[in-house]
Amino acid sequence: MGSEAIIVFLIAGIVLVAGANFLSNLISHKSDNVQKREPYESGMTTIGPTWVQFKVGYYLFAILFLVFDVEVAFLVPWAVVFKDFGAVGFIEILLFLFILGLGLLYAWKKGALKWE
Amino acid sequence: MERIIFYIIAFIIIVFAMASVSSRKMLRSVIYLLFVLCGIAGIYFLIDYNFLAAIQLTVYAGGIIVLIIFSVLLVHHIEMELEMAKPLRKILTALLCMLGLGVFLYTIYNNHFNVVDNQVTTTTADIGSKLLSYDAGGFILPFEVVSVLLLAAMVGAIVIAKGKKLTDNNDTEL
Repeated sequence: MGSEAIIVFLIAGIVLVAGANFLSNLISHKSDNVQKREPYESGMTTIGPTWVQFKVGYYLFAILFLVFDVEVAFLVPWAVVFKDFGAVGFIEILLFLFILGLGLLYAWKKGALKWE
Repeated sequence: MERIIFYIIAFIIIVFAMASVSSRKMLRSVIYLLFVLCGIAGIYFLIDYNFLAAIQLTVYAGGIIVLIIFSVLLVHHIEMELEMAKPLRKILTALLCMLGLGVFLYTIYNNHFNVVDNQVTTTTADIGSKLLSYDAGGFILPFEVVSVLLLAAMVGAIVIAKGKKLTDNNDTEL
């Protein structure tokens, strides 16, 4: 990748995001009054911090996601040269996926995929 | 041209790294860290390590950051700002950082870096054919062992995360 591509990407990213924000700020109708800051539909005014702790269950899913994220990262170079290797490459990747599939099976069996 | 882009990316990385360590809101720190990791991916793109950059984006910016965000969201009082360090501690940390910087600068300025023509190509296709090849110089065995490593990581994560519950389930089943 040429360095020009990076600078184009950088500028395009900044211009698109900043431009979209600027335009929506410019065009949008703005109104602000006291009533608008009240909770929706006569809701109760909150007392203290409104933070709620997330369930620990999310964490397990994040870890499992990370493992399969790495797996996909390994699949990409295989997919690029798939045609050169043919059947041998296919068997190799099947073995790779099979071993990881065992992990998924383990997670499933131990109820790690169940939402509690 | 490359030099300018390098400095731009390096500037972005440094600014967000400093924001990440000095922000007193945890979630903001994590998001700044995300920008740092994206900047590092930019550096990888700059030196033509496209595959490594893609890995950096998917695994680090995509996966690890999600994991860190979840662990931050698990914390009880996230809305609290992190407390300021005591002055003595600040001074000691600053000294330690300066020491580290000194070691780095000393090494950089005293080492004569040789410019070598890059002989190794690192396109994704090259990495793929090296990973799958079973001839000499191929990495098929490590490639398969990686899957075992990932399996072990997954099993370990489940065992640790489920902890007590896992053994309880086993007892009732037996």
